[in-house]
Formats: sequence, structure tokens, C-alpha cells
Amino acid sequence: MLNRTDSQCPGRVANAITRRGFLQSSSAGFGWLALQGLFSTQAQAAHHFPAKAKNIIFCFMDGGPSHVDTFDYKPMLKKHEGKPIGTQAYSKRSQASDPGRLWLGSPWKFEKRGQSGLWVSDLFPNIARVADHLCVVKSMVGELPLHGQSNLLMHTGRSIGLAPSFGAWVTYGLGTENQNLPGYVVLNNDWVPNGGLENFGSSFLPASYQATMMRAKGTPVDNIAPHDAPAIQRRKLALLAGQDTSFAGQSSDKHGIESAIKNYETAFRMQTTVPEVADIRNEPTYIHKLYGTDSADEHQRYYATQALRARRLVEAGVRFVEITCPSFDNNNSPWDQHSHLKQNHEKNARVTEQSVAALITDLHQRGLLDETIVLWAGEMGRTPHTGAINATSGRDHHVNGFTLFMAGGGFKPGISYGETDEFGNGAVVNPVSVHDIHATILHQMGIDHERLTFRHGGRDQRLTDVEGVVLKELLSDV
Amino acid sequence: MLSRIIVLGILIAWTNGLLMAADTVVSTPEKEAFFESKIRPLLVENCIKCHGEKSAKGGLRLDSKPGWLKGGDAGEVIVPGQPDESALIKAVRYADKELQMPPKKKLADHEIALLVEWVKQGAIDPRTQAPGSGPTKSADAWAETFRKRLDWWSLKPLQNPQPPQVADREWSQKPVDRFIRASLDASGIKPAPVAGPEVLLRRLSFVLTGLPPAPAQRKAFLEHWQTNPGRAYENLVDQMLASPHFGERFARHWMDSVRYTDTYGYEWDNPAKGSHEYRDYLIRAFNSDIGFDQFLKEQLAGDLLEKPRINTATGTNESLIGTMFYHLGEHRHGSSLDFNGIHQEMVNNKVDAFSKVFLATTVACARCHDHKLEAVSQRDYYALGAVFMTPRWTSRSIDTPDKNALAIAALKDLRSRIRLELAGRWSQFKPTTELLKPILAQKNATALTIDQIAYPIERLTKAEGGMEASWNALANEWKNARQARIEANKAFKVLTDFQTPEIPQGWVTEGEGMAHGWVPDGTPLVALEGNSAIARLLPRGYHTQALSSKLPGALRMPPLETVPGQFSSLKLAGGEYGGYLTSDSNAFQGESVVFLKETQPQWRMFADKPMKNGVTRVTVEFSTASLNPNFPPRTGLAGGLPNNDLGYDKRSWLSITGIVTHDTAGAPQETLDSFSTLYDPIAPAPKTADELNLRLSKWLSGAVSRWCDNTIKTGDLQILDWLMSNKLLPNQSDSGDALAKLVADYRRIEQGIAFPRTSNGMDERQTVRAGLHFNSRGNVDSLGELVQPDFLQIFAGQNDVAKSPGSGRLELAQSLIEPGHPLTSRVYVNRIWGWIFGSGLVNTPDNFGRLGDKPAHPLLLDWLARDFVDHGWSTKRFIRELVMTQAFRQSGQAGPIALDLDPSNRLFHHFPTRRMEAESIRDSMLAVSGRLDPALYGRPINPPRAVEDGSKRLFSGPVDGNGRRSLYMTMSIMAPPAFLSTFDLPDLKLPNGRRNVTSVPTQALVMLNDPLTNQLAQHWAKRLMNDRQTTPEGRISSMFIEAVGREPEADEVQRWTDAARSFATSPDIMSDQSAWAQLAHSMFNTQEFIHFR
Repeated sequence: MLNRTDSQCPGRVANAITRRGFLQSSSAGFGWLALQGLFSTQAQAAHHFPAKAKNIIFCFMDGGPSHVDTFDYKPMLKKHEGKPIGTQAYSKRSQASDPGRLWLGSPWKFEKRGQSGLWVSDLFPNIARVADHLCVVKSMVGELPLHGQSNLLMHTGRSIGLAPSFGAWVTYGLGTENQNLPGYVVLNNDWVPNGGLENFGSSFLPASYQATMMRAKGTPVDNIAPHDAPAIQRRKLALLAGQDTSFAGQSSDKHGIESAIKNYETAFRMQTTVPEVADIRNEPTYIHKLYGTDSADEHQRYYATQALRARRLVEAGVRFVEITCPSFDNNNSPWDQHSHLKQNHEKNARVTEQSVAALITDLHQRGLLDETIVLWAGEMGRTPHTGAINATSGRDHHVNGFTLFMAGGGFKPGISYGETDEFGNGAVVNPVSVHDIHATILHQMGIDHERLTFRHGGRDQRLTDVEGVVLKELLSDV
Repeated sequence: MLSRIIVLGILIAWTNGLLMAADTVVSTPEKEAFFESKIRPLLVENCIKCHGEKSAKGGLRLDSKPGWLKGGDAGEVIVPGQPDESALIKAVRYADKELQMPPKKKLADHEIALLVEWVKQGAIDPRTQAPGSGPTKSADAWAETFRKRLDWWSLKPLQNPQPPQVADREWSQKPVDRFIRASLDASGIKPAPVAGPEVLLRRLSFVLTGLPPAPAQRKAFLEHWQTNPGRAYENLVDQMLASPHFGERFARHWMDSVRYTDTYGYEWDNPAKGSHEYRDYLIRAFNSDIGFDQFLKEQLAGDLLEKPRINTATGTNESLIGTMFYHLGEHRHGSSLDFNGIHQEMVNNKVDAFSKVFLATTVACARCHDHKLEAVSQRDYYALGAVFMTPRWTSRSIDTPDKNALAIAALKDLRSRIRLELAGRWSQFKPTTELLKPILAQKNATALTIDQIAYPIERLTKAEGGMEASWNALANEWKNARQARIEANKAFKVLTDFQTPEIPQGWVTEGEGMAHGWVPDGTPLVALEGNSAIARLLPRGYHTQALSSKLPGALRMPPLETVPGQFSSLKLAGGEYGGYLTSDSNAFQGESVVFLKETQPQWRMFADKPMKNGVTRVTVEFSTASLNPNFPPRTGLAGGLPNNDLGYDKRSWLSITGIVTHDTAGAPQETLDSFSTLYDPIAPAPKTADELNLRLSKWLSGAVSRWCDNTIKTGDLQILDWLMSNKLLPNQSDSGDALAKLVADYRRIEQGIAFPRTSNGMDERQTVRAGLHFNSRGNVDSLGELVQPDFLQIFAGQNDVAKSPGSGRLELAQSLIEPGHPLTSRVYVNRIWGWIFGSGLVNTPDNFGRLGDKPAHPLLLDWLARDFVDHGWSTKRFIRELVMTQAFRQSGQAGPIALDLDPSNRLFHHFPTRRMEAESIRDSMLAVSGRLDPALYGRPINPPRAVEDGSKRLFSGPVDGNGRRSLYMTMSIMAPPAFLSTFDLPDLKLPNGRRNVTSVPTQALVMLNDPLTNQLAQHWAKRLMNDRQTTPEGRISSMFIEAVGREPEADEVQRWTDAARSFATSPDIMSDQSAWAQLAHSMFNTQEFIHFR
């Protein structure tokens, strides 16, 4: 058993220390993981191929916004509104598709927008204005029409979860560019999405790759505010440094202790850096107006704050930022409008879409959009049909054809890819899986999704499991 | 006649021709899709079990086109295009008494229609090859692969090695040390010198109890060590093993292995009923050292043991709790009947957990294909899944059956005496016209119906025209209505009307509420509050609340489709979250739960559901809240239940007073029995008002006096109910008389009954083996053969799982604890070794396969496995053996040669410094600060949370968890306790045999700034204010002893004294609590505090 020759994890792009590799070179016999991936300075050290983008901002529309009310214009729905969908529309990937259900037209008007002429409905007036930046995919196909599975699929590439999240993979692959900030931040709006915190977890990757949660309200990050006055804390750290150094000397695991000592130094700096980057007060007024941080609606204010922080975080070198939606009623997830589609989709749109558009505009104006991918997606779409047509009609879960978009990061601007049938009931042209989206985004980050692997359970695991195709048609410059 | 025979002859002669014609019927994608979506599942569900690969009854196989083309012993069965000529269609139509298929139960009409349509379309069938038709190439290939893969170290029989002889006999007195030393010697490595007493004390304390040693314990140990180090150490080991905290420590290890959680996660984080009971069960099991063989049996088949382990001290059936093991893990909501794939995902999770925990084998990898590396076939996966999916996944009453025996006997006795007292009063009852008049007067508000007691009274007392004529008209109306209802009720087959307590065959009851719940008509339900003696009279049947609404009860019906008739109906009442739950193939968080809110039993109908998506049965269980496995359900489904009510300590009740089955929808009707005694056919019709009054009075009082005499007739109860509801029968309990005293006694005893304890588990009584559909390539929509329960092919011939009449779980457990089993003991002793030494002999404790590590010491592993089994599977004894070794007592000082040759210490040449697990870090702070609550057991306590989310039941608890040890914190899948997660609490959804140890800045932030560390530092400082120390040096010394188990060195005293002075804000440093709090907080933040050596 001596001199084992296990290879270092082949998938790690940047040169972080892997568990096995570490064991080979250390005297620790019990598995210290002195992984510094969270603050790796070796970002971009070894991309599989040249990166187009450095950062990702994932605007996660939790609950499943309706594709046929946003980007996927289906005039047939209005024309056949109230008619039974019949047996032909059966889909086992819809939450309900009994023949007796009725087609439901969109309550919003659609228009062709910008130079590109992309269809965007009136639900998204601000996003409509940045249509020429969008790379819209209208033929997304998921797996099971339930929130938990679909959230986990979107976030971890598996509808059962048990795998690292997208953000964890990206930071594992690329590290972060800022020593004093985590590589993966979730700008949360006090909401644990269906599927749980696992959506943001590192699973079998080391814990250093899991998301750091930044809240919209109050102290942005748990325990980031120093409990002690600065002088006291410094005194304490000095005491600890002396104490721990002598303990490291007596320990059979110097590396582990030393890395813990270093963590205290980093933590000390984070106490300043994190609040600084989270603090938007010094942003100019026009930026506040653009994002909507001055909104009278508190939920919009929170979302706008998070969107603005997202821009600040990527500027500061954070790799992967996700923004979750605020929940404003007792709904299971914000965009989950089984009823009151009109009223609550409008509310969700009001809370989020101005800030999403502002983020794209702002990044563009700063020249950051080229290297930042903005991904806008829910975990599913919604049925083009409903149980009954009335003032409170809603739409149910639907994964057989839905829409998401990317902007920036070398994605072709102002294009639409893939199609659903004339009712928006199923993808018929160029169906795209979540794995394909993951693979394509990783590709833009300079990562070959088949080579970003981590050995676990005896397999070289990857974000895209055994699937995923890079969709070159979506990319400007391949 | 002649012509028919000719036609038949021609038909037979034409068979070949017709079939050729059938082949030429054009197959279109639509028709194939029709076959795939409608017909294939129907055949698989209903036919292929008897007409398939395993059995071809009547010589017929329906699992391929060539199969049915060949026909059965009686000739051809399908004439494509001609359903009426096809024997198959005739059989499913039950047209011929001699040939009815499926034999147990007729298919539903729409299913028959589908088959007819299929034959009409030409019986398009793309299944051109029969499964298992002759050995296929791939089957041969697998057999060959399988044979090769059996050649693997962990599958080979345990060797019987003798401990080697080593030169240093002094060091190697224990056999384990001889193995360790021999391999060190062979590698030229010297073991590390023995560790000092303080290091050993702290090490033993954390390894065996997860807590730091108490200063008094340290003092005693060091004193003893002075005189006799060997004895002192041995004594210490025995003390630690006897500590109740030993059980907590090892329970927590096992909880990692089985992915323990208190919730089911996913969308609502529903509470996992019984999790904490299982956690407490583990603590008791480790503390009382029940033997791993017993421990294993209880977790796999605790419900099936002939002699369950009864804990008389706690009144607990321990064995039953074990099967909560299966329920752990994330539960998806919904059912595969709605969305295919729900139950299949769950099965995967269960197979994975079982096979990793007990066998360190990755069986779940074989869901979609034969295992890529191990001797595990895809069939193995489904066979094992079938074992687990056969029993009902439900809730069990874990109280011992006789726990409330005394109280129940007393309540029964009091109930009879209360009845007697009432009978004494009621026998005086004389319903006079005066008594009835005011009641009738108020009845006019709503029109009376023929079912009501007041109906004839009102009609007759107000009768216009002749009394006699009216009487006769009413009597006729009644007779006709009654006759019509009796006729209509013939459509219902009565399974029971509960004349006797007998439960229909195949139905199962649970809980004391059912065991003592059957009553004959008119049994009083004693009122538990208020000034009435009784709440009402119960109709015959089962009433879980008959004695107390604390008693739990459940009735579980057989799968709907096995009950004859398309419908089953039960007459039900219930309240306080008593209700029923419909589960499809053991759906895990079934949401079709209905809570009853009615006092008078009403018929509820349950229709057979068409099976699809690999669902093999639909069952309904009727239960009180505590025996409902999914209670509380997701937030919002239990009307009126607050989100933070986790369903503990609930009164709840359920009544079942009739069960029928039927083929047409509807409910049986009351047969107006109450009036039989009124319209006595022998007595002449009354002619005058007086005669009428007499008749009415006799009618009403007859029912009362029959009740008093215990000769109650069917129908009397309705009369009594009516009299009671109109307060015509005395029912006061507040007059201080004998009745009142009896009622008060009853209430007092009822109050004393403890709320029931229940846990999710398994119930296999009256269940039949359920197969699991093979999914080709793991695709849930590609439904294949129904695989029957069996154990892995590796162990073929070494177990009786397949022969079991039930799931085979007990047979499975028994085969695993056969002394020679190559995996069970190896896997377990390796886990323990890892928990004791920090890494296993096999460093992948959940994987002994080709993807795992190989053992560092194969012979030692086998020696340990044998030794463990030979000594009765005793975990404590085994641990004692390990910690008594020199290997364990080594210091952490590895020599340079050792580090060079074996850097990862696989040969155990030193004892490495270990970062504590998250729980020990938190528990140490609690212990050292003095805040630790040493109490064992109990309901989980919420971790502190920055934000609560009631709809997901994510609630916040006290910052310090009220001092409870970390293993008692709510392990929520959706959002685990943040403090613990920061220090590598493992993924709660996965079995985990070895924790990661990562080092991240967040840990420093938590230790520096979290309210918990600061609050506990304050607590400690407050305690220090009373410590009688007079100098900072003395106090610092005592703090070191408490926190890290040793005296500080001189330079350390200096360092900390300096710090104390710099933190002090008042000249009297010894009473400056805040300065000492800073010091205490710093102490928590030292690396030494969170490590042991």
C-alpha cells in the first residue's frame, strides 16, 4: 500500500491540491483537506482552451416563469383559447395534460423588439429594450415536472441532486481572482429553494467550493461583522497566532494547522472586503435608478440591491454569482403561478426584470458584458393550457419545452434558437437539455465539460453527468 | 349446428393464413405507440407473471409476438383484427365461466376496451423476441464477466490468520499489535513512542464519548497513573465505555453511515416521523451493546422478529424502531401514477444506502446496466429493490403492547360501571306526549325525511284524516322504502358489518386504539370533559377513541386491486387529524391524504386505479395522526394545523363501522331498522291519539330498556341518539353522585395515559411479494419484466430471500449474520477501526469493491472480523480491544523514515492529530463553558437560523440549543445546522463512512464572530468568576485544563496573562468578567481546542 500511484484528479483545471495528492505529500494520515480553492490565485492558470468569459451571473427565476407569456410567442393559444387541448397534446412531462384542459392565450401582448426583432412580451418592458443582447433558447427540455427535481437538475445537473452545484464546479475549475472573496456567491433573498441548500452545495467536492450566501437584508454574510472591536480582535489574533504556531509544532499535522492559521488571516481581511463589495451606497444615483434600488416595492428593492451587488462581485473577481428571487406570498416558489397567472407573474416581473435589464446594460456599458455571462432561467416553463379560464387562471408545471436566455460572454446577441410547436407545448426544433446549456457555458469559460472531473464513488464525475453537447450555434466566435 | 362446426374448422384451417395476414397489417408509429403506452403495460401488469418467461401457464406466453402467435395448449389466442374471435378477449371479458383471465379479478372496462382496440387494429406488437428465449449472447457474456468478478478480495471467505510472531513482545502483547508491528518491522518502520497520560486521556475521551475529559476525571486518572499506568489506563477505558455519552458518540457515527435526518427534505422538508426515536434507539443500542447481529437484524427486519427486543424500562419495542433505517434519506413528493419516476428514484436511494452501509458495495450503480466493475447485475438491483418495496412503508406503534394495560383495564371497567349507573337512571325513562311536544315543535324548521326518528312522530301526531289510515300509509311507505333499500344494497358485498371484532382477511390493524377499539352497538363513549357523563353512544365497529383518543390506531387494507370489485367502501368517522392516506407503490410522501371531520360514520368509496408507470399496487390506510406515516403532511395540507406543529402529542381518532365492496359506484343505504319496532306487523294500527301515544312511547322506551338490559337491537341506537340529542335521557356528571365519581375516575386515569410513540417503519403483515419492474437502461418509461425479490447473485445459494413468502428481509438479515459472511463483519469492523483510529484499514468504508481502497492489512482485517464474530458481535468489547492496543496508545511523533515510506500512515505507525468533528467542536464549547445539558435522548431541537421559513418548517432555535449536544439538533435536509455544516457535516442525503476535514476561512469567521462562540465564552467567563482562583496565572491554568486537558507551559502562562491584562478594563482583573470572556473566546479559537492528538 505504500507509494500508491493514484493520479491526481485529472479534471482540476487550476492547480489546487487534491485530497489524494495532498496525502501523498503530507504526513497527515487522516485526510486533512488543506484546500485553498476558495482563494486560489491560480485562476485561469490552465484553461482547456481560451476562455471567452470569466464570470457568470445566474438570474434564477425560481418556480418556472411561463415561456408562452414571455419570449415564446404563440398566437395559436389566443386563437384556440378555451378549446380543449384534446388527446394529441398529452405530455407526460407536463404536470397535467388531460384532454379536457383548455388552451390559454397569453394575457400579454407580444412585440418584435430592437434590431434583432426578438419576440418579447409586454410582461418584460425593460428586458425588451435589451433584446439585442439576448441569446434566447426556446427549446429547453427538462426531466420531471416538479420543482425539487428540476431545481436540482438546473443547479447540479442531476434531478436527484447528490452532486456539486454548477457554481461549485466552476470555482473548482477556475478558482477565484480575489483572495479575499469567495469564488461562488449566492445573492439570496431569504429563500431556500425547493431541493434545499443542496442547490448551492459542493456535495462531494470539498466544502470550500460551496456557495457563500449573501443576504439582501441585514448583515449580508453570516458572521462577517466582527464581534469584537478592532483592537480587541487584533489582540486576540496575535494571541492565537502565537498559541497555534506552537501547537502546529507539536502536531503530526503541521499543514492542516498552518492552513487553519492562514484562514484566520483571510477571515480577518474578509471582514472588510465582503461588506465593502456588498455596500452599494456609494454607487451613483443613475445606477440606483437603473437597477431600481430606489423602488417603493421592498421586494424589488432587495432584488435590485442583489443585482447591483452581482455586478460589483464580478468586478471584484468572483467567478459565479447567482441571484435568487424574493418570495412575496406564501407560494411554494416565486414564479409558481398555478393560479393568478396575470397578477403574480406581473408582480414577479416587476420585482426582477428591471434589474436584470439594468445588469445587462450596466455590464455592457462597463465593457464587462463580453467577459460575463448573464444566464436567465427558471427550472421549467408552464403549461400553455389550464384547467379553467377565468380571472384567476394559472398555468402548471411544464418541462417539455421552455425558454431561457444568455447574454454576453460570447453568446450570439439577438438570436433565438430552437422552437416549440405552434402551441408551445413541446420542443420540436433543436431540443436542448440542461446539460447542453451547462456544457456550452463551461465552454465559454474555457472549460471542456468532459474534462472537468472529480473522482468520486470510483467514477470521474462531471457536471454534465454523461451528457451535454456544446451548442456552437449559440456562440459568436467558435 | 353443422354450419358452426364447419366455420370453426375453416377458422382453424385458416389460422396460418390469418396470421400471415396479421403480419402484413401495416404497423404505423401511432399503432406502435399505442402498444407501447397502453398495451405493453397492461400485459406486463396483468398477464406476464403467469404467461411469461418464469411461467407459461396453459403453454401460453404473452411476452412476445412469437409467444402469442404460437398460442397456448388450447390453440390460438389472438386473431388479429377480430377481437370477438380471440380467446384472449373472451377470457378478459369473463364471457366464459371456464376461462376468465386474469383469474383473480376482472380487468376494468376501459382496460378491456384497450385490448379489444388493439386486436382490432391488428394486434401490432413490436416485441419480436421473447425475453430469455434461449441464452442470448449477452447473457453468456455476463455469466463469464460475473465469474471473473467474483475473484475479488472482499468476496472471498474470511481467512483464518494467526497473529504473527514479532521480536518486540513487550510492545505486541495484543494480537492486533502483532499484526501492526509485523508489517511495520517488515517495512523497516518504528512505531511512535507511547503518548503521555494527558494526551491519552483527551484522545480516549473524544474517541469514545466525543466530549472533553472533566478536570476531576483528569485528576483521578493522573493520580492513578502515578502508581500504575497500565491499570489507570484500563480503568479509564472502562469508565469511558460505561459512560452514557459513549452511546451518543457511536450513534452519531452510525447516523453518518445511514444518512440520518429529521426531515425528508425536498420541497417542504416534512418531518421524518420517528427519526429521533431511531436516534435514541441507536444510543441505547450502543450503550447496552446489543450485538451487531441483533442490531443488523432489527434495522433490516425488526418488524419480523419472532421475539422483538422489549425494553421494559422505557416501555418500548426496540426492534420495531430499527426499521426506521429504511425511511431515512430524501423523500420525493407525489406518486409515480402522476409522474413516472418518483418511486424509482426512491428505490434507488434505498438500495444505495443498504448496500453501502452493510455490504460496502455499490449496487445502485446497476440501476441502468449491469455493474461496470463489480459482480452485480442489473437484475440484482431490481431484485433487491423488490425486497424493500414489498412491505408497507408505514408507521408503527413502538410502545410495548401492554404499556397501558392497567389503565385500559381500569377504563373498561369504569366504562361498564358508568353504563350500569346510566342504565339505572335510564330505565325510569317514560316518553310522554308532554315530553315530546316541545321537541316536535322545533323540528318544523326543516322538512323531516323518512330516515329520521321524528318523522313518524310528527306525521302521526299531526295526522289529518283517520289515524288508522295514516298509520297504515306510513307503515307501507316505510315497508316499501325499506324493501327497496334492501334490494339496492344487494349490489354491495359486505366484508364486515362488525357484528364481531373480526377483521376481513388480508386487512391489518395497528395500535392500542384498534386493539381495544371494537365495541358492540350502544357502548357509551365517556365524555372526557364538560358536565356530561358520556359524549354519545357508539355504533358497533372500531373506534380508536373508544377508551381514549390518545390511543393510536390504524387499519390497513390490502392493495385496492386485490380486493374483489371495482370499488371498496368503508363507513368512517374521525377527527383531530384521523383520516386516510392513499399510497401508490409505497409512494413516499403521498399527498392524497384526507382528514375526517365527522362524528357520524359516513360511507367513503375507494375506486380501483389503473396501474401504470410500474406502479404495482395502490393501498389505503386509515389511521390516527400518530400512525399516519406522512403526518404532518406538507404545510397547508392539514387544514388548521400550524406549521410549527410537528404532530407530537396529539389526540386523534378514527371510527370504522362497515366495509363493503362493489362493482358500481354508490353507497349502501340505511335500512330503516329503527322503525321495525314501531310498525309491528302483528299489533293493529292505533285508532286514537291515546293509542298512538302509547305506541310511540312503547317504541321509544323499548329501545331504552333494551339498552339497559343489554339486549339492544339493530336500529335502537338511532332512537337512543335522538333521545340523547334532545336531552331526554339523563346524562349529567356534575351532581357529585356515584356516576359523577366514576366519570371523574375515568377522566383521571385517561389523563394519565401517555401520548403514543410511533415511528416510521415496515409492516409486512398480510402483504404479498411485490415485484419491481425492470427498467431497460434504467429508463422508467421502458417497462420490463417484473423482477421478484431476491438477494444478489453473488450470494446465490447462501440465502433464502427468494424462498421467503414475504419480502425476504428477515432471510436477508439472517444470511448477512452467518458467521462466514465475507462482507458483513469485515465492513463493520472496518468502520469501527476508522472511528477509533481516524482512518479505516480499508480507507473507503462504504466501498469494498474495485472502486474502493484495498485493505492496508488484509490479514488483520480478517482476524478482526473473525474475532468480532467469535465474541458475539459485541461492539463494546471490540472497541475495548482496539483502544487497549499499543497501536492506539502511540503518540503522534512519527519518525522521518516512517513519514518517508508511509506518508499517509496506512500502516499506523503513529496516532495522527485529528480535527474534531463539527459536533465535538460545538459540544466541547458547551461542556467547557458549563452550558452542556448532559441529558440523553429527546425530540430534535432547531438550530439557530438567520431567517425562518414556516412554509418549509425551517424554524429557528436558541443560539446555544439549550445546551443540548449537537446530535440532538434538527438535521434538516433542506438547511442543516449552519455551524455544523461549516465544519464538514456530511451531505445528509448520502451514506457516509468517513468525514471530510476541510479548512476554510468561514470556519475562522464562525469561531470569531458567531453568536454561539461568543455567548458560550460569556457563559464560561461568568462561571470563572466563582472559581476561587486568586491569580490570573491560576485561572489560566485551570482554563487550559478544562479546554485542552493539560497544564499550560510557562511561556503560555505568560502569553495568556499578558493577553488577560490587555483585555482588562478595570484594575481588578480577576473580577473583570469581560476580559475573561475574551480569554475564553480566544481559547475556543485555538487550534488545540478543536483538535486532539
